[in-house]
Amino acid sequence: MTDAIETEELTKRYGSDRGIEGLTMSVRQGEVFGFLGPNGSGKSTTIRTLLDLQRPTSGRAMVLGLDSRRDSVAIRRRVGYLPGDLTLFDRMTGSRLVSWCSRARGGHDRTLTAELVERFGITMDRPVRDLSKGNRQKVGLLLAFMHRPDLVVLDEPTAGLDPLVQVEFEHLLRETATEGRTVLLSSHSLDEVQRVADRVAIIREGRLAVIDTVEHLRASAPRLLTLQFAQPVAAETFRAMGGVAEATSDGAEVHLRLTGPIDPVLRAALDHELVDLVARHADLDELFLAYFAEAPTSEEPPHG
Amino acid sequence: MVEILTRDLAERRRSLIAYSAGLALYVVFVVAVYPAFKDSTSLDALTSGNPGLSAMFGISGSITSPVGWISANIYANFFPLVILLLTIGYGAQSLAGQEEDGHLELVLSLPFSRRAVVIQKAGAMTIQATVLGAVVLLATLCGRFFELTIPTAHLATATLGVVLLAIDFGLIAMAIGAGTGARALAVGVTTAVAAASYLISSLAPVVHALDPLRYTSLFYWAIGDNQLDNGLTWLSVVVLVGAGLLAAVTTMILFDRHDLRA
Repeated sequence: MTDAIETEELTKRYGSDRGIEGLTMSVRQGEVFGFLGPNGSGKSTTIRTLLDLQRPTSGRAMVLGLDSRRDSVAIRRRVGYLPGDLTLFDRMTGSRLVSWCSRARGGHDRTLTAELVERFGITMDRPVRDLSKGNRQKVGLLLAFMHRPDLVVLDEPTAGLDPLVQVEFEHLLRETATEGRTVLLSSHSLDEVQRVADRVAIIREGRLAVIDTVEHLRASAPRLLTLQFAQPVAAETFRAMGGVAEATSDGAEVHLRLTGPIDPVLRAALDHELVDLVARHADLDELFLAYFAEAPTSEEPPHG
Repeated sequence: MVEILTRDLAERRRSLIAYSAGLALYVVFVVAVYPAFKDSTSLDALTSGNPGLSAMFGISGSITSPVGWISANIYANFFPLVILLLTIGYGAQSLAGQEEDGHLELVLSLPFSRRAVVIQKAGAMTIQATVLGAVVLLATLCGRFFELTIPTAHLATATLGVVLLAIDFGLIAMAIGAGTGARALAVGVTTAVAAASYLISSLAPVVHALDPLRYTSLFYWAIGDNQLDNGLTWLSVVVLVGAGLLAAVTTMILFDRHDLRA
């Protein structure tokens, strides 16, 4: 089975501005793929290059087994896209936008469209300029899903959606993947992505920082260990041990951040009178932040 | 198949109706007052004794003759001005303007090739210019009820010349917009070129230094060579259509290379 998206050293530069640099990654068919990064890290640049809205400086991309440049029309026939900055023809109603896009695409799935309208409470009979941002966004989502595309590309899709709709939206993404179709979900919110994505790519300053399953990322995230002793124990006892990233003490409590095996730490702890022990994985966003903490802070590039 | 064309026409419908209604009213008024001026020898003397003034308004021959009257009041200046406003406006809006306001992002996420986008937009421009040209032609033909008769064939081909002229400049605006993504720049540069083209064509008969330049002016080929008297020559049609095709192909090449801005 070919990958839904495959990029090879994909690079886009804007003069001296940063775009994306040597991006090599693949998105499998039938997965929800989270594309994470702070604003301006190159998420939109990547997406817009995949859809041939702009052209790579070098490297190449295959989408649904087709070349992103040469077969762009065939690709767009099978892709649904929600832009990060959605602009609809604002005198048109939702219904007219659907039928217009449907004609342009050579048809749409009427049953699915009716179901989505119902499910998300989409206003179809008023010009989109009269709708709130959230309701316009729902019309945009409908346009991205209505033809049951093999690949749905969503750039910051939940902007303006209320929380209940977001939950329903996450269900929709899961259902789409269950049908074997693929979702590329770009976001700057880890919270949103980790609930729904199978795999995640984290992109930083136009370069791929990490690509892995959410499960793995979580497993490799540092564990936080709190040891409570009967008497105060110096944090230094643990600090020098392999796998201990950080050790602090607070009276009789010692807090450790572990990136290695827990066994030697526990053995050392048992040399003292241990009263209680609490262990948990760091939240994924602590990991996420750690990835970005490494990045030097710089001004926002003009291109997302 | 032609969703972009129909969408753009729908977006432009109101302005096309407004342009058509305004221009039709103006033309009917001009032809309706003709009987009051046709025997005015003083008006005739004013222009015939003053070739520079005549040239500024694109008048050739007697202003009180039927051809002179509609040339001086409609075909040599006001009609080209208004139809160029329409086509240059649309040409700049259709790509650069829609890119600036974000509509092109939606259009280009649908399965249309860049070339198809340009062809459909050129088609929408042709339809708009043709509608406005037909309205002016019909309104001018009302002159026959006001002692103003001109051979219909010559009037029709002269109208065609102006319509082609407008499409040419509209496509030039589209090309500049396709290459730069900047609507205001496309309008500005094209308007300047059109103004220069108009001045060259209308002043060439009196400013001899400009005479050899007039062949570079699309106005000359469309309306500056007594087309109302003689009809549009085949050579003019070739030049005007050729210029349009050149601009359209240039637009396709530039637009195909263009990175759509987010």
